[in-house]
Amino acid sequence: MNDLLTTSLYKFHQEQKAKMIEFAGWLMPFSYEGTIKEHNCVRTESGFFDVSHMGRIYIENNEIENVNKLICSDLIKLKNTKAMYSIFTNEEGNALDDVIFWKFETHIILICNAINRDKITTHLTNNEISYKDITFETSLIAIQGPQSIELLKTLLEIPDKFSTKNNKTFTYARTGYTGEDGLEIMYENIHTDQVLKFLIENNIKPCGLGSRDTLRLEASLPLYGFELTEKISPVEANLKWVINNNDNYLGKNKIDEHIKTGEHKYLKKFILESKRIPRTGTEVKSNNVSGVVTSGNYSPILEKSIGFVLLDSLPESDLLEFDIRGNLLEGQIINKRFLS
Amino acid sequence: MTDKKYLETHEWYSINDNNITVGISDFAQGELGDIVFVTLPNVGQEFNKGDSMIEIEATKTIAEAYAPMDCVITEINSDLDSQPEVINTDPCGTGWLVKADIKKLDDTGMSYQEYESFIS
Repeated sequence: MNDLLTTSLYKFHQEQKAKMIEFAGWLMPFSYEGTIKEHNCVRTESGFFDVSHMGRIYIENNEIENVNKLICSDLIKLKNTKAMYSIFTNEEGNALDDVIFWKFETHIILICNAINRDKITTHLTNNEISYKDITFETSLIAIQGPQSIELLKTLLEIPDKFSTKNNKTFTYARTGYTGEDGLEIMYENIHTDQVLKFLIENNIKPCGLGSRDTLRLEASLPLYGFELTEKISPVEANLKWVINNNDNYLGKNKIDEHIKTGEHKYLKKFILESKRIPRTGTEVKSNNVSGVVTSGNYSPILEKSIGFVLLDSLPESDLLEFDIRGNLLEGQIINKRFLS
Repeated sequence: MTDKKYLETHEWYSINDNNITVGISDFAQGELGDIVFVTLPNVGQEFNKGDSMIEIEATKTIAEAYAPMDCVITEINSDLDSQPEVINTDPCGTGWLVKADIKKLDDTGMSYQEYESFIS
């Protein structure tokens, strides 16, 4: 594991005896006290995630029109001090990456998936967009959970939901990837000790990538490489709400065609009345429509198996049959959120 | 009952007359993370050494536990149906998985000391 990248919190992870895993070229904490305990902590109290492995790219606002030609949402119309989820698309209208933009008066911060940082920076370069990759000089912490905002009030001025703020030390937004309220905070690495001191003093527990995955799944949020890939469009991934860019962006024709014809794959949420988990790659049938599980895991809140399935076409029935290692199990498509 | 012996696939077994008790090691449960579901075999089911006997679902992954020797299942730990997490908290005690009659003795597992150096 010698060649793996580490974040500015690495020493803390070691001191906490976190179970470390390789993720997108980084050595990251998978769990500290157990995934389910950390999951429940974020659902009921407040926990923090070191997500410094994610790419952070600084772009001056004079490049916004150029960036807008590469994404399916309208970054030009987005007001300063707002955050926006969007997707970089390729010529086929499929997803190069799903990202968050934080917009400020003079610049934007683009947060991309760790696995796609090289791809996105190369894409920006190829499209003659100036940027500065600030991933290595900064850290990114996500503090999430119903108690988070109350605790963070003593450290920071709290923005509205999906809004951004910055001060001398911190650049942050009221965003996250757990379905809970909270902030994602970026700062220069030299401030890590100060941040850790605040987190420890406020009894905000460290949480690993294991619970980040179960939390995002329970919150019906896609993960790049699973629900979104270079072969899956945002329309197929049930992310039509993200598509609001009227510019002639890359892949727009294909996306418009998908919306118009409805002839495409369909990503659906499923639930199983079982703790047996259909993992990624599990084959699924819904009458004569075939599909495959993109993500599946145990929901600690529902105490059932949940996940996403990508079906070849629109199913006529909500009933699904999963082939879990040779056992056929029935499941159900869920059109509402997993958690009410 | 004999001392526990360990396999390279991270099961432990202990022998009591002609019967073995099988579980997974503390190291294995730690690597798996939170265990949420266990598929146990049926009483009377026969396995040869190395056959997959049990499926263990954890939030991180799924794992299998293999037969340490040729055996016939005599008892399963049905408490694991409602409390699979016991494997996490007490893998070498109340988190045992199955008991089985030995069909062909093969007591070649590692001692605890040997297993410790195997996993380190």
